[in-house]
Amino acid sequence: MAKYLLKRLFYLLLTLFIVITITFFLMKLLPGTPLNNQAKLSKSQIAVIYQQYGLDKPVWQQYLSYLGNILHGNFGTSFQFSDQPVSYLISSRIGASLQLGFQAIIVGVPIGTLIGAIGAVKKNTWVDTTTTIISILGISIPSFVLAVLFQYFFGVKLHWFPIANWGSFIFTVLPTLALAVSPLAESARFMRTEMVDVMNSDYIELAKAKGLTKIGIIYHHALRNSLIPLLTVVGPLAVGIMTGSMVVENIFSIPGIGELFVKSVLTNDYPTIMGLTIVYSVMLMVVLLITDIIYSLVDPRIRLTDKG
Amino acid sequence: MTNQTNQPTEAELTTNLPTDNNEPAAYQPVATDFQVISADEKKHLDDEKISAPSLTFTQDAWRRLKKNKSAMVSMVILLIFFVLAFGSGIFETHNPNAQNPAVTNLPAKVPGVPIPGLNGTIMQGGIRVDAYKQAGVKPGTFYLMGTDQFGRDLFSRVLYGTRISLTIALVATFFDLTIGIAYGIISGWKGGRIDNFMQRIIEIIMSIPNLVVIILLILVLKPGMVSIILAIAITSWVSMARLVRAETMQLKNQEFILAARSLGESPIKIALKHLLPNLSSVIIINTMFTIPSAIFFEALLSYIGIGISAPQASLGTLLNDGQKNFQFLSYQMWFPAIVLSILMICFNLFGDGLRDAFDPKSKE
Amino acid sequence: MKLKPTITFGVVALFGSTLLAACGSGSATDSSKATNKTLNIQTPSSLTTMDISKSTDIVSAQTLNNTNEGLLKFGKNSSLQKAIAKDWQISSDGKRYTYNLRPAKWSNGDDVTAQDFVYSWQRTVDPKTASQYAYLFDNVKNATKINSGKLSPNQLGVKAEGKHKLVVELNHAQSYFNQLVANPQFYPQNKKAVKKYGSKYGTTSQDMVYNGPFKLTGWNGTNDTWTMTKNNNYWNAKDVKLNKVKYWTVKDPQTALSQYEAGKLDLTNLSGSQVQQYTHNKDYVLRKTASTFYLEMNEKKQPIFKNVKARQALSLIANRKQFTDKILKDGSQPANSLVPTNMQYRDGKDFATESTNKTITAYNQTKAKKLWQEALKETGKSSINLNLLSDDTPAGKNTTEYLQSQFEKLPGLKITNQNLPFKTRLARSQAGDFDLVVSAWIADYPDASSFLDLFTTKSSYNNGKWSNAEYDKLVKDAGGSLANQPAARWDAMLKANKLIANQAGVIPLYQQAQSQLVKSNVKGVVYFPTGSSWDYSHAYLTK
Repeated sequence: MAKYLLKRLFYLLLTLFIVITITFFLMKLLPGTPLNNQAKLSKSQIAVIYQQYGLDKPVWQQYLSYLGNILHGNFGTSFQFSDQPVSYLISSRIGASLQLGFQAIIVGVPIGTLIGAIGAVKKNTWVDTTTTIISILGISIPSFVLAVLFQYFFGVKLHWFPIANWGSFIFTVLPTLALAVSPLAESARFMRTEMVDVMNSDYIELAKAKGLTKIGIIYHHALRNSLIPLLTVVGPLAVGIMTGSMVVENIFSIPGIGELFVKSVLTNDYPTIMGLTIVYSVMLMVVLLITDIIYSLVDPRIRLTDKG
Repeated sequence: MTNQTNQPTEAELTTNLPTDNNEPAAYQPVATDFQVISADEKKHLDDEKISAPSLTFTQDAWRRLKKNKSAMVSMVILLIFFVLAFGSGIFETHNPNAQNPAVTNLPAKVPGVPIPGLNGTIMQGGIRVDAYKQAGVKPGTFYLMGTDQFGRDLFSRVLYGTRISLTIALVATFFDLTIGIAYGIISGWKGGRIDNFMQRIIEIIMSIPNLVVIILLILVLKPGMVSIILAIAITSWVSMARLVRAETMQLKNQEFILAARSLGESPIKIALKHLLPNLSSVIIINTMFTIPSAIFFEALLSYIGIGISAPQASLGTLLNDGQKNFQFLSYQMWFPAIVLSILMICFNLFGDGLRDAFDPKSKE
Repeated sequence: MKLKPTITFGVVALFGSTLLAACGSGSATDSSKATNKTLNIQTPSSLTTMDISKSTDIVSAQTLNNTNEGLLKFGKNSSLQKAIAKDWQISSDGKRYTYNLRPAKWSNGDDVTAQDFVYSWQRTVDPKTASQYAYLFDNVKNATKINSGKLSPNQLGVKAEGKHKLVVELNHAQSYFNQLVANPQFYPQNKKAVKKYGSKYGTTSQDMVYNGPFKLTGWNGTNDTWTMTKNNNYWNAKDVKLNKVKYWTVKDPQTALSQYEAGKLDLTNLSGSQVQQYTHNKDYVLRKTASTFYLEMNEKKQPIFKNVKARQALSLIANRKQFTDKILKDGSQPANSLVPTNMQYRDGKDFATESTNKTITAYNQTKAKKLWQEALKETGKSSINLNLLSDDTPAGKNTTEYLQSQFEKLPGLKITNQNLPFKTRLARSQAGDFDLVVSAWIADYPDASSFLDLFTTKSSYNNGKWSNAEYDKLVKDAGGSLANQPAARWDAMLKANKLIANQAGVIPLYQQAQSQLVKSNVKGVVYFPTGSSWDYSHAYLTK
């Protein structure tokens, strides 16, 4: 296990290094500058500003110093926010995004699991059909469409929740719901398939033959054995939430990193784009690693090996 | 598919039998129902022979697919969308990019449909008024989905947008297929260190959220249709490659492949003649899920402002435009949103149906 | 601050982000007062800095204009108001300005002194600060040499004589110098604070000191809401009626509108298609910006444009009113003169209105065709193909499409449109690699010279290379020999503005405007079309 973990960590760092390198050189292909009023500046003024951002040096020197700075947690200075370190920009905004992401998972996955399980147990009845429709709608309708509709009906029309902005818990309800729909639908769909499989397996037949009650079978055998594979979709769910948050945060005016990312893209704030790309990658890799570890702990059939 | 080694499973055989609930009510036989067969005819009767025609794998899958109602309905709807979107000019009732300042923001009006919302009326100060009359439009003019702020016909724009969205999705999926299949086959076939190396690359790509990669690529390539297609294709082949690789690794040790190898066939020929046909079900199923995700990404990119740019339209840009006026001109968002959602639902349901049809084991 | 000469709407330019004010809704109440005196304002982009030397976008300029104060400030219609300066003298040659300062305090208790101005100006011009607005100081003695590193910052032509007297030396007379001084870049900075906060100076509301009507609070440098709270140390605090002005960053236009309708905002911006829906609403306010979008014709590459009739034909065939009202529909106004309206006034008369005669800028298809045919004949051509450049923004695309359809009504004229990213378009304009290009300019200070100076023969902004000796002389006189004679200078500029329109040296197309909704109980908000644009120090809420 320890050896496996070390190896995984090594690959994680290697991957990170490659991600940083590729992102860095991609960004260098772009014409972005910290200048906001280029048309009114003289050449010498532009040179001075470039120098301040270290953009006057050869690209490989910029690359080396960027790598060195990252080791110290320094992602450079934002073009958009003058003098603001990118690391500070991200750290002060990541909280809102993490909170929304976790809430969406906490709301979406259990409900989805439940819906999927009910669908599987009541297979081929109207209950199953209803739950299937819910999950297919959830998977198919883009979260930004849902976000607009939620905002309009629950915020503007019904006044149940604030329309936008960030504050107490009540402000998080609508964005959380908009984000939760996709994990809910994905886990419902996955759960149903898994559980149908499990319900058809020999040991369930055996349990039935032994005369266990239906509830007992579902709870002790079917549900438990279906939950473990659910871990394998956590990675894709996390990606879905990161993706969704970029639009949902914009619609609800939430000061998170999704909104920051979109804004940086639209204003060519390359240091911030690079920093966020790295942060997103680290988050995803950590989620995948943790899932794998938990998976090996809960499922005795799986042993983590060097093959990983 | 002639090399298909799948044996029909028991489950499949059972599902092929007519189920009881499809049977008509109990039937009382009458004499005319029976007839005496001649000796000649009797000669051909062989009690041991299975009289059902033998089906190829594809035929079998098609037969199963036909039973899946939601998948069939989805398929029909998708076909209709394709015909409408790509039969451009024929179904577009107006030029999708022609601005007409005289008829801006008219609500939908469908001939012969008196339902509010589709009859050209809007609520104004609490009273329902005929917006077409107000705008002084000639009677007999219909905008099936209304018009936008520049007086462009929304129906034509939605068709046009659907065409752009579908084109992007299809072309991106095509590249995705090509890269994914080639990569997967090579990786699976070669095995060993090459495989290991190629899998590492996939892991790296998978450790960055794909939207981030897509956005970075679009920034480098400059926003536009071509860059969206490339960006989506470059990021989405990974899952295809993984599936194809796994399948290839299984297949390569099977007898018919070994036979082909020992007969000295070249690897390329083996891949084309033997592997590809056997991979087709995996490929088709995965394609059906790649298309909607490409549609989704395109819509998302256009929505945040780095996708298709005006005056071109895609479902994403139409949604974005419509959303700005959602409070008072809600139809401008509803129509593209509904079309986008229906497309996504149909692709997903059809994909589900195909998966079930190709993979009897996953049958409910 | 208007930065980009091209106001690309929407995506890239922060400029498009003018603000709105919203008023007294229930979201934030001052616990100490029974009456609600909070104004809630929507802003489409975040506050990026409070460092006076580094502010480049409209949100930071607007905030600085309300939290800090310089020698002078803008009032209604860009009129100059006394601020920290209680009076001033200008030497007879117009090169020496002496300001007498009133006693005032920083929010940390320090006195605002003449030395604070000297320090601030030196800091902005110092190349180490890398201010993007250092060029505004170019006429201050030695500024350009300091900025290019040839002299040390303390050689700048600004000196403190005692605590309350500031003396500025200029290179040459500059009649609008006081207009420049009213911009945030010329505000004082507290040296103690700059040194104390170091690299964090101006990056959060705590790492900054204020001498204006409000203090900034609740801004951690990256968050989406921040508040301006009444500054009791302000010298004129008794006239400040609001307790708080709260900013809400809302990027999604639909969300902003919903928040306004729900009473959470008292002032919000309208974007694009929303404008049409609200033009008849009682809360609707149109704010014209000091900007002009204009067409340049490349006389070097296409000699036909040396012919005045060819240029005039293009100007006459463009139906500006139809374009702004039916195509752009975002509140923009037709421009009939290079200098925009609502910017500069004399005796209540608008400079642009006074200098506009629509002989060449009013739509007249017959005349346009006739002039074009004559131009073709005179240059010996029967047909001509031209490319038309503009930005790749929606407005840019609408512009090229519209102009193409109009221009092609002229016999023998074929137009190819090219919509490019802002920086590419800028580079090609400057390199002269175009036939026709749609450019834009926003004034840094409310004086006609900020537009007229662009098109003298030698100006580096004159991309089309239009050249007219009379125009050059008028502009030169206005900036030099007439600098101390306001009436004669005004007349010279009027003449120049008429001349360039009639000669169609460049073709003015439209003036950009920002549409807003303002709750009817919000009074006393001051708007001016250049720079920081908004002053809330006199605003109050009725009811």
